[in-house]
Amino acid sequence: MSDNKIYFKFDGKRYGGNEGDTIASALLRNNIKFVGRSFKYHRPRGIYTCGIEEPNALVQIINEHNEPNVRATVKKIYEGMVVKSQNRWPSLKRDFGSINNLLSPIFSAGFYYKTFMGPKGFWKKVYEPLIRRTAGLGKPPKEFRSKSIHIHHNVDVLIVGGGLSGLLAAKKLAGTDHDVLLIDRDDCLGGILKNTKKIKSIDNQRTNTWVEKTEWLIKNSKNIKILKNTTVTTYNFDNHLVAFEDKSVGKPPDNIKPELVLHKIRTKHTILANGHIERFISFRNNDLPGVMLAASFEKYIHKYGVVPDQNPIIFTNNSSTFSLLKSLVDLGHKPRAYVDVRDQKKIEKETLELLTKYNIPLYAKSEIEGCDGKNGVQKVSIRIKKNEIIKIKTSMLCVSGGFNPDIHLFTQSKGLIKWDDSLLTFKPDKSYQNTITLGSVSGNFSYEKLIGEINKKLSFLQGVNHLESTLDINGPKKFQIKELWETKHEKKSFWSKSFIDLQNDVTTKDLKQAILEGFNRIEHLKRFTTNSMGTDQGKISSINALGIVSKILKKNVSEVGTTIYRPPYTPVSFSAIAGRSTYEFYDPERKTPLHTWHVNNNAVFEDVGQWKRPWYFKKHTNETMHEAVQRESKQLRETAGILDGSTLGKIEIKGRDALTFINLMYTNSFTKLKPMSARYALMLGEDGMVKDDGIVCKINDQHFIATTTTGGAANVLAHMEEYAQTEWPDMNVYMNSITEQFATFNISGPKSRVIMSRVFNDIDFSNDKFPFMTFQNFNYLDTQIRILRASFTGELGYEIYIPPKYALRLWQRIFFYSRDLDLVPYGTETMHLLRAEKGYIIVGQDTDGTVTPLDLNLNWMIGKKKKDFIGKRSLTRSDIVRENRKQLVGLIPLDKTYGIEEGQHVIEKENLSTPIKKPVEMLGHVTSSYFSPTLKHSVAMALIRGGKRKIGSQLYVSTSDLNTIPVEVVETSFIDPKNERMLL
Amino acid sequence: MFIINCPYCGERDQSEFSNGGEAHVARPKDPEQINDREWSEYVFVRANPKGIYYERWVHTHGCKKWFNAVRNTSTDKILKVYKLGEAPPSIKEFKNTLKSPSGEPEVGSGNFTVKKT
Amino acid sequence: MTIIASGKGIEISQTELQQILLRGKGDGSFAETINKEISLLPPSDNLRMISNDKFLFAKQSFDQWSLFCLVEESNEEILRLISSMNANEEILASDYSHTSCFEITGENKNYYLSKLTHFDLRPKKFPVSTMAQTLIARIDCSIYHLEDKYLVTCHSSFEDYFKDRLQDAINL
Repeated sequence: MSDNKIYFKFDGKRYGGNEGDTIASALLRNNIKFVGRSFKYHRPRGIYTCGIEEPNALVQIINEHNEPNVRATVKKIYEGMVVKSQNRWPSLKRDFGSINNLLSPIFSAGFYYKTFMGPKGFWKKVYEPLIRRTAGLGKPPKEFRSKSIHIHHNVDVLIVGGGLSGLLAAKKLAGTDHDVLLIDRDDCLGGILKNTKKIKSIDNQRTNTWVEKTEWLIKNSKNIKILKNTTVTTYNFDNHLVAFEDKSVGKPPDNIKPELVLHKIRTKHTILANGHIERFISFRNNDLPGVMLAASFEKYIHKYGVVPDQNPIIFTNNSSTFSLLKSLVDLGHKPRAYVDVRDQKKIEKETLELLTKYNIPLYAKSEIEGCDGKNGVQKVSIRIKKNEIIKIKTSMLCVSGGFNPDIHLFTQSKGLIKWDDSLLTFKPDKSYQNTITLGSVSGNFSYEKLIGEINKKLSFLQGVNHLESTLDINGPKKFQIKELWETKHEKKSFWSKSFIDLQNDVTTKDLKQAILEGFNRIEHLKRFTTNSMGTDQGKISSINALGIVSKILKKNVSEVGTTIYRPPYTPVSFSAIAGRSTYEFYDPERKTPLHTWHVNNNAVFEDVGQWKRPWYFKKHTNETMHEAVQRESKQLRETAGILDGSTLGKIEIKGRDALTFINLMYTNSFTKLKPMSARYALMLGEDGMVKDDGIVCKINDQHFIATTTTGGAANVLAHMEEYAQTEWPDMNVYMNSITEQFATFNISGPKSRVIMSRVFNDIDFSNDKFPFMTFQNFNYLDTQIRILRASFTGELGYEIYIPPKYALRLWQRIFFYSRDLDLVPYGTETMHLLRAEKGYIIVGQDTDGTVTPLDLNLNWMIGKKKKDFIGKRSLTRSDIVRENRKQLVGLIPLDKTYGIEEGQHVIEKENLSTPIKKPVEMLGHVTSSYFSPTLKHSVAMALIRGGKRKIGSQLYVSTSDLNTIPVEVVETSFIDPKNERMLL
Repeated sequence: MFIINCPYCGERDQSEFSNGGEAHVARPKDPEQINDREWSEYVFVRANPKGIYYERWVHTHGCKKWFNAVRNTSTDKILKVYKLGEAPPSIKEFKNTLKSPSGEPEVGSGNFTVKKT
Repeated sequence: MTIIASGKGIEISQTELQQILLRGKGDGSFAETINKEISLLPPSDNLRMISNDKFLFAKQSFDQWSLFCLVEESNEEILRLISSMNANEEILASDYSHTSCFEITGENKNYYLSKLTHFDLRPKKFPVSTMAQTLIARIDCSIYHLEDKYLVTCHSSFEDYFKDRLQDAINL
């Protein structure tokens, strides 16, 4: 195309727009005013505003993964964009759901609460499908939208809003030592200077020139950074704000560059210069396409060069509409009528002069009763006297019901607001944080006073410039307004409605009804009617609702109060919140020094905490997990196996009082343990519950190395640090995590001694020289390794600790020396199976934070002579010594061909009646279960009530196909209960 | 996301810290000498006031050091930070932040948005 | 030293540094033991770094120091140093040489890191010759501000993830 137009599709039809157009401005350019249907009643809706406050014109962007609920007034068009209207079926003009409008008496306030109470079963079969079909906004997107990142900012001053006040504030700070961030939600700075005719000139320059010059000055000052297309959505404690930037403005998504940026800003001072939002007035059918807010209409003229209608009717209760009037007449357009609620004497002389000069009919002390038309405004009814209504044909009606300082962020910051009787709105009163409000958001609607206000409020900042600017103001200097929230209706039909919340289809009648039903507190009223609960959060209407409610309740608006403003200010895409924490970066991953070897040897990985651990090794591609685990387990008990145990936590503990400390941290006693010996140790919480287990090696009374479970490492270190710092600060003891400083190999199986002797041919591994649960340090190449004789499989076993740099070489050397001995690499699943055969617990699998050492039959691990250790006192609490606590037992199926499933319930009765009439008494659950290749049947462990006394009896375990299988309760050690194999 | 002033590292983002519950609850010197109820109170029972609260924090993702803080639980404002072993500041120091009987300050809790007239 | 990413005013390289993590009271006996071995007194101000030709010495908190060898020593010498320091029963010295180290240089390094951490890197808050422990790319890291670069260290198990995040952020 050579006409410089940008073409996009709306509901299948192609339209052209200009560069910089939003979907809304482009549609208005093409004279399209009807763009969607409403949430509940499926009424035709148009474009109501020109910005983030839009309640109606929500669309779905088909070519952006179906992104729903996009505000047409914000989203910029680009070539090839495909847009669809929402909430209509089969088409916008012929919508099936609009029958809801005729059914509206049943859709009134509290509709959902009242209607969907019964009869039983109706919710699932009738109500839910119906609601899902007809209610709601757009359809959910099919995929993740786009790449996004988070950027952190640490600044001294954040300026929210780059309009007139924000620019002046930035100018004041330009060139100072303060790091400043200036954020504007639009694609250009200037705010009202660009969108209205309110200011004629600044310092004798045209407003556009002044904005350009000021922006240039700010950019060159080096201490100020500007972000455009960025909306501050959240104001947290301690001046932490979150802003949402759309980088893809006017561009199709490319999925390479991040399109969304979540800015997380920490600032010392926040300057809110985020302006005001115009509000509407409720009248009959105030939702029809063609009704638009006056300032938005004016913004379309100045910012986009679109005149939505050349001859609209203007309806106002305040002085601000002078600007729109002036904009129209300057372009040679003539409004059909100017309707002002105020008495002619109160209307500003500048407005009156314009109306007279251009011969525009003025209806003073009049109001819009309502408007009519099919799919858009065609006729407007004006009540010119108490009982006299005239009708005028028009296709657009511009409404101004006054302005609200945009206090959303201010109240999020926990600042206090107050009601202003002359502005008829809430404005900031008392800041809670270092928050300064400037300009209209502070309730200063007078441009004359602006420079003074900024100089005064920012003077406390060191080294700031003194502002001296002269603003030449167009039209009325003082803002005047008369209270009007809703006009009186004449017609009564189902079609006639006066809306208070356009997006959620809440009518002023709903408010009245809710109050009649007793919901007279504003927070209750909001939930009952769903007023201001849409994606627009009632930006143009929530204060009007308070006005109406206060009239009904005969209270002041400040007594009625507002609902609490909560973040986000405007909707934030989930993908922006996720940032880079998706897909491959979802969670940090930890790898062992042997990771690449595992990958090359067909390991299937399991996530253990953040660690990637080999789960099992596939011998060939068709081998199933069960086959691999059975093979690995069997092999290990016959010859030997090797496991990468580098993930186990390792903590080095040292200090004058290390022994005393270790004795307090673990249940066991280490006093009599000989140096260079080790002990399997249990750590409890102060509540007596098992927290972690591991092997503690004693180098001497001042120096220990403790191992922890893979998942518990950080917690155990933190637990030790906590007690060392907070309870026993006088104890001389220090601990370092050395988990990553050593790779750990666990070699076990009957052949492990032969292998070790071959690999380390100068070390004597005989029982005499290297007894069970001892360790020794050896020089190896130019480093040192530590070998510990211990076992978690029940077989003869050794653990080697070696600096990671040397790990792969040694690992390969071990395989080399055992090439005739069938050494099998095994993963965590085989380790779990082997230890279960021995009845060894896994903390976190066989325990869950409610299990004591007594419940686990680990009484032998408790140092009875020790005066104290963490959790000791709890072990004698009445609830802990109770006999029918859940205790760990072994289970074996009576019919050896059956398998027991982990997580299943253990019960006393064989038959579960179907359907189950009475709850079945559950004794406990299966914590671990494996098929033992050595015993050739299932072995399981379970925590069951009074388990110790039930040993030898028969119980039942439920199955996932709703059966039960009979099991025998046994001791937990299934293989080699006398521990002969590991002492070999 | 507030800022916490670690006595060792200075002001840092809250995300680096973990809360450790009520401060100044000393582990009984001789646990064997106290009854089940007294022990359970030490292990399980903590104060949960609305208003001034003395609590422990640890700089988990920083220096890993524990310290104490005084926080107003109705505004989440941390009023003072002090090292372990230092005497807790007197509650009188913070008296003025409690203005209503429920411990709700006039501004800052966010439960009231509109100034009472 | 291996360059793992560069461009847009940033260069990130990976380096290997021998490191000893020291814990102790920081009293006279502590300083004496250390000084005897390396002829350098441990810094006494929290978060400060000092250095000479051979060592970079940083105080991480009141009872924790990290000591880097700027000139590579033999492994035996490191083990000997550690063992001599550990001979003082009130000192814990652990070999931390298997820690991943990265150097970040270039004029845009602060903006670059702001995509990965909330930490305030402005020179007025984080001057040269200071260090901090914080979160970068959701991982516990230590960051040392040297003259014209940052030295960032993290536990080696996170190395691959961390490197991927470092490379990813440069292109965003």
